[in-house]
Amino acid sequence: MSTCPDVDVAMEDVRRGFGATQALKGVSLAVHTGEVYGLVGPDGAGKTTAIRLMAGLLLPDAGRVKMLGEDPANTRSPVRESLGLVPQRNTLYGDLSVDENLHFFAQLFGLSRKDFTERREQLLDITRLSRFTDRRADALSGGMYKKLALACALLHRPRVLLLDEPTNGVDPVSRRELWELLYGLVHEGMTLLVSTPYMDEAARCHRVGLLYAGELIAEGDPRELARQHGAAASNFEAVFLALVEKRTGGRAA
Amino acid sequence: MAATRVNRRVGRILAMAGKEVLHIRRDIRTLYLALAMPVLMLVLFGFGISFDVDHLELVVVDQDRTDLSRELVRQVTASQEFVVVQDGTSPDEALGALRRGAATGVFLINKGFAEDVKRGGAQVQLLVDGSDGNTATQALAKAQALVEMAGRNLGGPVRVTAPPLEARVRTLFNPDARSAMFLVPGLAAYLLAIVAVLITALTVAREWERGSMEQLFATPVGRLEIVVGKLLPYLGIGLLQVLLVLTVGAWVFDVPVRGSLLALGLGSFLFLVGMLGQGLLISVVTRNQVVATQVATITSVLPSMLLSGFIFPIENLPPPLKLISTLIPARYFVATLRGVLLRGNGLDVLWPQLVALALFAALVLAVATRRFQRRLD
Repeated sequence: MSTCPDVDVAMEDVRRGFGATQALKGVSLAVHTGEVYGLVGPDGAGKTTAIRLMAGLLLPDAGRVKMLGEDPANTRSPVRESLGLVPQRNTLYGDLSVDENLHFFAQLFGLSRKDFTERREQLLDITRLSRFTDRRADALSGGMYKKLALACALLHRPRVLLLDEPTNGVDPVSRRELWELLYGLVHEGMTLLVSTPYMDEAARCHRVGLLYAGELIAEGDPRELARQHGAAASNFEAVFLALVEKRTGGRAA
Repeated sequence: MAATRVNRRVGRILAMAGKEVLHIRRDIRTLYLALAMPVLMLVLFGFGISFDVDHLELVVVDQDRTDLSRELVRQVTASQEFVVVQDGTSPDEALGALRRGAATGVFLINKGFAEDVKRGGAQVQLLVDGSDGNTATQALAKAQALVEMAGRNLGGPVRVTAPPLEARVRTLFNPDARSAMFLVPGLAAYLLAIVAVLITALTVAREWERGSMEQLFATPVGRLEIVVGKLLPYLGIGLLQVLLVLTVGAWVFDVPVRGSLLALGLGSFLFLVGMLGQGLLISVVTRNQVVATQVATITSVLPSMLLSGFIFPIENLPPPLKLISTLIPARYFVATLRGVLLRGNGLDVLWPQLVALALFAALVLAVATRRFQRRLD
């Protein structure tokens, strides 16, 4: 287990199954303070399971998970005060307005009225949702919904933000806006772990972990990984396919 | 430091409760289910279900055919509680009508009735369709009263004889023997049980189904805070239901409130907490609205109707069912309501019922909270 002081999220030989299916088969990774770590892999690779384990929403069958040096599944741990999560599914309250969702999560995170007023303004501004505060969450477009979910997860200024496929189902313009937003957060010193099935998004991360069938098949700087496989950084799909082929002997790719 | 922690906890509970109020305001069906349905059902059931004997169809077999026997029939049927549908038939024809369901009773006056009255004592016979035990019991009681009154008017005692029937004891505090008096308290408990269990089971299962539990679990909110926060608004609605149902009971059915309001309030509170806890437990276990609805209906409707004393007296239940009924909170709430409303009881009499309700509430909430893990597996 990494004990480096700058490691915010760590997994060590983590295994997790659901019935006969092994979702994670001994995954080890470390996410450092202030970096954007991309967990890249196709559907069913185990990305969501990994993120839920990091958020303490699932317990590992074996291995250890640490979030800011604490066991995230320990409900008495204050780690949740420093953690933000944007789940893959639409998990906000669809019948509540943008403002009502923000207010509710601000209350859960214990923001004072003054703090909330200030933070609300900031977040509505950066997510460009100021004009839609009275709109019900389920009436927002896919991109706007994701931005609202992000705003709800950022209200309490978390140190670590976990995003499970935040750009899934989002149009290209909103995708670019979301990524710009995320870079802004990293400049503020936040640590980001983003899962994505889109290989082109790997190039946007400082480091990536390539997850395939529950195994971390490669980890490192995406540009370096591309160089090693003789591909352009923008063509990360070729890198991923080459790695999968190498792992499976050409059977799966 | 500790005060800050408590403040934060209270803040999170209030946040959960506030969110729930918003859901209720947005979904008018919940409010309908919670407030309008019990009142509507109370009125429908209150008028629809009646154990009072009225317009009982009677075949009269008058074998005496004297002025006195005809006068007896006239007096017995004058109140309209019995109406003559057939007259002047033989005993065999009358029994045939009873078997066919053409009549619910046979009023048999034997030959020599008038002479017996003059001699100082006569008997008439009432045969009642025993397939409806309640009607039979009440018909016999009413006939006895009417015939005895008529006998006094005719100048001699007249008694009704009938096949032995097990009479159900009815409350002394309902002198007019009105069904509504004992049905309304039972109905109130029955309806509150259904609505409280169903609404809670649905709302918590909905959080699981739409995935919002995942978002909640990623925040500092604790499971007890989620439970209490979610239940608070429904507890408020439940207490409002009690007030509404009792108001409608008093206004429409003249059901009084004779006893302690404190016992009534405490009993309602404990019963509702238990029912809401039961709904929570169902939703935690099922995590699915459809299954939760079915389980909530089965575990609240049937026991509250059959094993609470609402319709069937507990003392008449077979021993195994009587034993099971001790686990049904509606049993204790029905007893509390009848005690307060009809018998004028207070805490001194009703404390065992309240203790039972408190025990059930504590147990079911403890189990539900324990089963409600802050994890998705």
